[in-house]
Amino acid sequence: MDEIAVRFEHVSMAFPGVLANDDVSLDIRKGEVFALVGENGAGKSTLMNVLYGINTPTDGKVFIRGQEVTDFDPKTAISMGVGMVHQHFMLVPSFTVAQNIVLSREPRRGRIFFDNAAAERKTRELVEEYGLEVDPAAPVEELSVGLQQRVEILKTLYRGAEILILDEPTAVLTPQETEELFAVIRRVVRDRGMTVIIITHKLYEVMAISDRVGVMRKGRLVGVRDTADVDEKTLASMMVGRPMLYDELEKTGVPGEELIRVRDLAVRDNRGLLAVDHLSLSVRAGEVLGIAAIEGNGQSELLEAITGMRKPESGTVTIRGADATGKSPGEIRAMGLAHVPEDRLATGLSRDGTVTENLLAGKQRQSQFNRFGFHQRTSTVERYARELYEKFDIRGAGTDVTAGSMSGGNMQKVVIAREFSFDAPVLIVAQPTRGVDVGAIEFIHGQIIDRRNHGCAILLCSADLDEVFRLSDRIITLYEGKITGEFTGPFSKEEIGYRMTGSRQDEKEAAV
Amino acid sequence: MKKRFNWGYLVSLLLSVLLAFAIGAVILVIAGFDPLQAYAAMVDGAFSNARHIGDFLEYAMVLCLTGLACVLGSRVGIFNVGGEGQLLLGAVVSCQVGVWLAGYSAWIAIPAAALAAMAVGGFYALIPGWLKVKVKVNEVITTIMLNTIAASICQYLAKGPWKNTNKNMVAATEKLDPRFWFKTLIPGSGLSTAIVAAVVITFLTWYVMQKTSVGYEMKLTGQNPRFAFFSGIKTDRIVIVCMVISGAMCGLVGMFRVYGVEHLYRSSISNQYYFEGLTVAMIAHYDPVTVIFLSFFFAVLKIGAQGMELSAGVPNQIYLIIQTVIIFFMAAESGIFASLRAGSQRRKARADIRRKEGEGHA
Repeated sequence: MDEIAVRFEHVSMAFPGVLANDDVSLDIRKGEVFALVGENGAGKSTLMNVLYGINTPTDGKVFIRGQEVTDFDPKTAISMGVGMVHQHFMLVPSFTVAQNIVLSREPRRGRIFFDNAAAERKTRELVEEYGLEVDPAAPVEELSVGLQQRVEILKTLYRGAEILILDEPTAVLTPQETEELFAVIRRVVRDRGMTVIIITHKLYEVMAISDRVGVMRKGRLVGVRDTADVDEKTLASMMVGRPMLYDELEKTGVPGEELIRVRDLAVRDNRGLLAVDHLSLSVRAGEVLGIAAIEGNGQSELLEAITGMRKPESGTVTIRGADATGKSPGEIRAMGLAHVPEDRLATGLSRDGTVTENLLAGKQRQSQFNRFGFHQRTSTVERYARELYEKFDIRGAGTDVTAGSMSGGNMQKVVIAREFSFDAPVLIVAQPTRGVDVGAIEFIHGQIIDRRNHGCAILLCSADLDEVFRLSDRIITLYEGKITGEFTGPFSKEEIGYRMTGSRQDEKEAAV
Repeated sequence: MKKRFNWGYLVSLLLSVLLAFAIGAVILVIAGFDPLQAYAAMVDGAFSNARHIGDFLEYAMVLCLTGLACVLGSRVGIFNVGGEGQLLLGAVVSCQVGVWLAGYSAWIAIPAAALAAMAVGGFYALIPGWLKVKVKVNEVITTIMLNTIAASICQYLAKGPWKNTNKNMVAATEKLDPRFWFKTLIPGSGLSTAIVAAVVITFLTWYVMQKTSVGYEMKLTGQNPRFAFFSGIKTDRIVIVCMVISGAMCGLVGMFRVYGVEHLYRSSISNQYYFEGLTVAMIAHYDPVTVIFLSFFFAVLKIGAQGMELSAGVPNQIYLIIQTVIIFFMAAESGIFASLRAGSQRRKARADIRRKEGEGHA
């Protein structure tokens, strides 16, 4: 148990303008589950990318099972027994499970021809050896996310990994799938003596799975503890560097009139498949309706159809009593809707535009920014941008720099600042805190609840289930474009997780 | 919105120009010319007499208007490579309108010709603009191909239905009624009163792009069309309108060439002038003010090179070499600067680590 699997000695990793890892020294023991936690940008992934050979450290040494790493290259890392499962899977969707697993080390017939039968045989052996049930002949694109992850793990095992790095493995999983993953981790550690390093920012998972935990903050390793000796509160304080109070949010007022009404809405996705399947819902003033769904179950298309970014196929959308079906985003915004989109880089911002330009978007025709209806009042615009910058606690090099030069969390604050300052009675909020650090999450959650308490109707969608639980008054679960359940607090994680995988709520009809 | 003055850009531009002249000098030496003498002849060629000054001002006007037409498209994310065709069509149509209205007052004929030039240029840009917005056809391909079609149409019109009656001249229209000619400002040169209109157009283009809410919407559309659409801007309309205006400006340049210089249409009305304007826009990184300044610079260079050929016997192709080298260095500039900056930051980060370690051990 005390054998050292991985040793980092004074490892520093500098990128232009950032010191992502600052003098990190860490030993990871063979046969343990080591959790690495920290806020976004704390340097967890950077450190693991050093271990996997993607990054060459600026300074310091790395030893894998006592052997110093001289050549930082994933190939070398793999040959030294390191395997990594990235947040975004690196699988070929049209290939079968077996083909994906043997990729780059394919069994061949006569040196030239790919031997599919051997690939499937080897995969089956692997599946049986580790007890990771999956059909070797199934195309990967037909598998659920949880099973795809399993394929990724099998791939690293096929390559002989003894040290397994999992980068935020549970981000895309349902609670049930997470449980299954943890069972797999426990099994490979117990039966095979593998070492597992798991990067996460969900603290209850740390408590559930790990033997030891390392906390990173601003590139430094601020502490390593036996999991048994700490609790979630302590870890959270270590992560942010100050005592963390995850206060109850104060929700006041009673729901008022219905502001969003969706009736029998059908929407197709980019591939032309029915993503939203004749769905109905409604949100009232002073209410947060949360959508709990695994990625790709129609929630993106639903929000796009409501906000005008995508044309629905049939059904109606009504915003504050007026028909908004198939209207343009501009027309729908004029009805009193603001929208925090799920993808800030593609939709929510102009990276090449200045912070000021990004904060102004959508308000440029308001008379306070516009003399004679065309001449832009530059100084008013600049003053307004600086006010928002202060009010929403955006931290960066001021309002004159391009939005693309800021960190993800601050970009998100720019989006939130702009959309929330419309004072729109209807808010569509998707992934409000994706890639945002703990301190900013508190702030953004506070803003959302503040809008709610002021009588906003808010439709919220987030991949972070805890966020949905925390903010919502009501939750609907979505599976393959249909509502599979509706819940009012107190929410049961098990029940909601169950509905997210497609089991329909009995008898009770979903939505209003 | 305030943009700080980009010193880095100015420095790299000056360096590129210096390097270009240095490389030009090397080539001149190899070819057996004295570079100093050649460059002196070049300056002389542009400034030595009033006629040359008039010529380079006229050429600067053409570069500036075509360059801004290109900037206008690129501002909304559409690359108008079809300005040459729009220019030629504007020239031939406005010329024929003048021919038809020969008996009328100049107060009727000239505005009619200008409107016709803008309409035909604008319409010819509408085609690729519409295709881009509605069916996502790449505008670079459509505009390039439409150029060839326009050149052929103009050639056909000038040889066929609109050909002049003079048997000796091939492929040219009837000459305009002299009452319609723009007044020449410097005798013997191409500089005409069109420059006044050009100044007004230049100012308006700059003003709309840099100072108005519409200009802001254009910029947003060009930077990230999905975001612009998301924030409520009618992006399809703005792209099409800008493309049409870009085409109308090119058409108008064609008219200026006819009414100010040639007084009839023939294919020599433009010698790939739009592409030279587009080059200026590219070197200027699509910044309107820089386009204005660079137009003068390249006009001096071009007219000077022609003078140099006459006086010093140096082929004026040296102009093309210098221009190309400047483009080359300006294109490489962003990459070179980025790698220099990254290198210095990495060194600084490394030094920080070392220093911290030093403190730690002390």
